[in-house]
Amino acid sequence: MSILLHEDARVVIVGITGKFGAFSARDLAASGTRVVAGVAPGGDGRVVEGVPVFGRVADALRETGANAALVYVPATVALDAVVETIEAGCPLVAYPGDGLPVLDAMEMRAAALAHGSDLVGPNSPGLISPGKAKLGFMPSFCFSPGPLGVISRSGSLSYEACHRLTAAGLGQTSVLGIGGDPVRGIDAATAVTLFHHDPDTRVLVYLGEIGGTEEYALADYARRADAKPVVALLVGRTAPAGKKMGHAAALIGSHAETWAAKVEALTAAGVHVARSLEDLPPLAAVALARASSSEF
Amino acid sequence: MLLTEARGKALLREARIPVPQSFEASSREELAVRPIAYPVAAKAQVSAGGRGKSGGVLKCEDLAQLDNAFCMIMSTEFGGERPKSILVESWLDIDRELYLAVIVDGRVGGMTVLYSPRGGVDIEQGPAPTAYAFGLPRNFQGHRFRRILEAVEPDAKIREKVVGLARRLLQVAVDNECLTVEVNPLVVRKDGSLVAADAKVVLDEAAAFRRSRTAEAIATEREAADEDIRRCSDGNLMLVWLEGRVGLVSGGAGMTMAAMDAIDAAGSSPACFLDVSGNPTPAGFDLAFDLLDRAPGVQGILVSMFGGGLHTDRVARTLVDVLARRTSGKPVALRLAGTSSDKATEILRDAGYANHTSLERAVADIVSRTEIAA
Repeated sequence: MSILLHEDARVVIVGITGKFGAFSARDLAASGTRVVAGVAPGGDGRVVEGVPVFGRVADALRETGANAALVYVPATVALDAVVETIEAGCPLVAYPGDGLPVLDAMEMRAAALAHGSDLVGPNSPGLISPGKAKLGFMPSFCFSPGPLGVISRSGSLSYEACHRLTAAGLGQTSVLGIGGDPVRGIDAATAVTLFHHDPDTRVLVYLGEIGGTEEYALADYARRADAKPVVALLVGRTAPAGKKMGHAAALIGSHAETWAAKVEALTAAGVHVARSLEDLPPLAAVALARASSSEF
Repeated sequence: MLLTEARGKALLREARIPVPQSFEASSREELAVRPIAYPVAAKAQVSAGGRGKSGGVLKCEDLAQLDNAFCMIMSTEFGGERPKSILVESWLDIDRELYLAVIVDGRVGGMTVLYSPRGGVDIEQGPAPTAYAFGLPRNFQGHRFRRILEAVEPDAKIREKVVGLARRLLQVAVDNECLTVEVNPLVVRKDGSLVAADAKVVLDEAAAFRRSRTAEAIATEREAADEDIRRCSDGNLMLVWLEGRVGLVSGGAGMTMAAMDAIDAAGSSPACFLDVSGNPTPAGFDLAFDLLDRAPGVQGILVSMFGGGLHTDRVARTLVDVLARRTSGKPVALRLAGTSSDKATEILRDAGYANHTSLERAVADIVSRTEIAA
């Protein structure tokens, strides 16, 4: 299996008439993902990249049976677009955009929870289940199907890490970007639970960084007696405190948010922490071999 | 972005949260003409923490002492930052120091109030503050916070004042779209009244499109920023200067940090976090090389880009042009991987440059060449 996004995905792109939306329609189709609808207010009846456009999300879902949404609209109007998509009943919504006010992120998250939708983002490349479907803008060639469940706070790090894992013959069930902002839809705690319940995911790979406290949710999971093996790479060991390193949430404000404190907590919880990108594939391979031997 | 104490307190004052009588001064001439009762505290207006322990807060009994304090504070650097003004504030008769803050909390997808009955400069060393995590701002309930306070604050009168103040701090956070509104210390005066003796307010920069005050604060900070930072923000590059030897040009926040760590692991040190993924064009790379070639501490430059959506053959052509225009002799190592990297390698080779096959090799190369340069 995979998490959240499977072979049966039928994607609607909200904001399909924008530059990024149209590019995404081509990119998703090229990766084998079915894009069945687009949405643009006032755009009823148009066709973009061979995809029918609707003025409202609810119409798009009803007419095309879309079950996953990728929302490409500017941050200034993102809350409205995402809430419309959630209220229309779309079970899976990705909002990859960055620069979203945190109050809007809170409202998006609350709307998703209230309606039982899964929200990926903000500030994330989205979600890919290699060989099945893609709901985001990550480069498809970095990924391949396999037994690793990957959770990442950083887009660029997930591309490069998965490219190396793929080259080492270590494919992925799903790769989920939980994003670089402080308030997010699916967070690390939810992501580990999803991968835990996915029978095809045998090892969890977590790509984290300084700032915030997501990594402690990962440590909580790793301490469980029934936890799957967890491998992690954290970047920002050399980042100074008090400076934002690109991502809004990559800022050390307290001791618990430092690289050292997180690595200590993860190691104590039994997580295999890679010392570098280079170290990640062999560590994942060892964890996978152990997971396989303990299953038989 | 972090506001100065004076600006933060102005927001608190607007919400009718008690703050000491004060004025801000950026010149000696202002000290004599603004009426205030002595003694006063002269406080450096800087973003660095711990100024109280490094001479950034001085007690003054009269104008002569204040004048001295002004000159001392204005000529001192606090965490590498020189103050542009001081805040002159009535000296408080302190009975107790408390801690009260409203913060954005990812764990609850919303906000949390933090309280400690022992606030002040050593807050980090004491027990962690008590947290009331309520999530969405509209879910704040005074009675729930009161129940939590009962376990840590025995004084019922103070509890009630803290509950009321917490709601007002939350209102400040919502009305101004703040990531943090922290009052430390929240002073209990001898007469039992509470006053915010300091203020740490962090605005959500992403809200600038609908908050004119945030937009103005960003513009002010931009004007005050050093030229490198300003040029980068204009050019859509993300720069943080570090203190190392290897100038790093990379793409994406996570991979830029990974490359910084790799440089350190190879025995050297990164000179910067410089993410050019926002503008990987001739203008962007020209700016990056100009900054790093002119920075005296930078002994060599590593360009490491992983092409996802980005076509590295285009980056290679850009780099060949940029490097040809360059006059600096600082060594450069290149590593372009991902989309079209075979073509990139060819383009670089034809121009006489090597494209490293991995980040690790590129790092080892530039580290060894900067050691020789050093």
